[in-house]
Amino acid sequence: MSAATRRMTRILAVLAAAVAAVPAARATVLVPADLGDLVRGSQAIVHGRVVDVTAVWADGRRRIDSLVTLEVDQYLKGDFGERVTFRVPGGQIGRYRSVMVGAPSFAEGDEVVLFLGARGPSIPYVLGLSQGVFRVVEDPQTNARLVVPPPVVAGAEVQPVRRGDSARRPMPLDRFADEVRALAAGGTR
Amino acid sequence: MIRRGPSGLVAVALMLAVTLGARPQGYLKLGYRVDGKNVAMKWGRLPVRYFITDRGVPGVTSNQLQTAVGRAFDTWHGVSTAEVSSSFVGFTLANPFEDDNMSVIGFRDRPELDRVLGATTFLVDSVTAEILEADIFFNSAFPWSVASGGETNRYDLESVALHEIGHLYGLGHSAIGETEVRPTGGRRVVASEAVMFPIAFLPGNIEGRTLKSDDTAGISDLYPTTTFTRRTGSISGRVTKNGKGVYGAHLVAMNPATGALVGGFSLSEDGTFVIGGLDPGPHVVRAEPLDDADIESFFQDAKKVDIDFKVTFFDRLSIVPRGGATSQVEVPVKPK
Repeated sequence: MSAATRRMTRILAVLAAAVAAVPAARATVLVPADLGDLVRGSQAIVHGRVVDVTAVWADGRRRIDSLVTLEVDQYLKGDFGERVTFRVPGGQIGRYRSVMVGAPSFAEGDEVVLFLGARGPSIPYVLGLSQGVFRVVEDPQTNARLVVPPPVVAGAEVQPVRRGDSARRPMPLDRFADEVRALAAGGTR
Repeated sequence: MIRRGPSGLVAVALMLAVTLGARPQGYLKLGYRVDGKNVAMKWGRLPVRYFITDRGVPGVTSNQLQTAVGRAFDTWHGVSTAEVSSSFVGFTLANPFEDDNMSVIGFRDRPELDRVLGATTFLVDSVTAEILEADIFFNSAFPWSVASGGETNRYDLESVALHEIGHLYGLGHSAIGETEVRPTGGRRVVASEAVMFPIAFLPGNIEGRTLKSDDTAGISDLYPTTTFTRRTGSISGRVTKNGKGVYGAHLVAMNPATGALVGGFSLSEDGTFVIGGLDPGPHVVRAEPLDDADIESFFQDAKKVDIDFKVTFFDRLSIVPRGGATSQVEVPVKPK
């Protein structure tokens, strides 16, 4: 091993140690959810395609929200009908654009799997702001339909969620649906 | 109280909330599109004038809320390489998340925003590209604390306020953090080197009251002092996979001498990145996929983000010159 290679190896070891050793637990905003949390917390889990997005005044015309309508392909939990409309914060009316940092945005044609909550006779909403949104994309090489991001699924032990882990890749839609259905049926994963 | 009804609104140009791609730097900045151009979400006039809701929650009075928020503003104002300022106008009966031309910070019960401790909203005029107001809400569904040492089972208000005020000044999320998933369900943060990391700390923890290198680099880039650009430097280059650019790769520059970490993203189709606000000297550069994250919390165009590659280090040290740039840092990554 050359001197330069040894030096580089030491530096990389320092970086890895520094990343691993930073103090625990800070940052803010979201209380994170794994896939099981999302399944348990949702009233309906739906796969479909966005067919309409309309910004509306809400809260006595004091706030702009967007109503998003989804044409349903399948429900993985619950059933809100062939089309479901849900609410997300923000939108544009006239010259004014209201933006909530971290909120999901949708466009007509988007194919998604959504984890929806609902409280009483109200318009459903996406769980955990954008944590309850999974996008369906097509692999350009295989044409397989994949779900992004890869879900975080609890195992038998504490598991670090490591970036670059070869297991953390977009999941085929069918497998994702099977995982969700198993959890909804009371599975332990 | 200043209030303006919606009846006076006039339809004009389209404006989108986007993470800026025009001038990539070491952290995401909030922005929007006006007439085909990306405009940074930053205040044209300072100080930012804000109101505090005249309402507390169990464990936190409105006066304590105002004090904690004031301390969080002061923490950002204490960054010596940035020029930001704010002014507390007074208490109000208005609520955050109401489009009323007032920047209001306070508690509110929004049950549909489950799992959201706090959030920041902007109302922007697409004609003038001006921020009309920015509100911050703290979700009153959660237990809060302003105790100096934190409080078991209660979230630290000052920490969350510090993060949200970073958004209010125009910073997006940082990805310098790691989580783990527990067998009983739920994720928790195990390491973070940025207040702007979007995932919550555990209740009782107060370490989020302290800004990190990534946060100070971000705010300094948005509101630089005259000496900031002279004292710091940048690293730029490309992340490629099979010869093509990688969009949305997370880059981290680490200063081995200090341990400081500053992050950034490749924000162009050709994989170009720039990490700014770095101390002069050698840095280690690492590229990694954002495959553990709620991508929508970072990028509006989440579908474009490539997460199918292995963590890769640049194969040599990058020497950052004072007031200059190290360029042509090419990081070829391999598919998983």
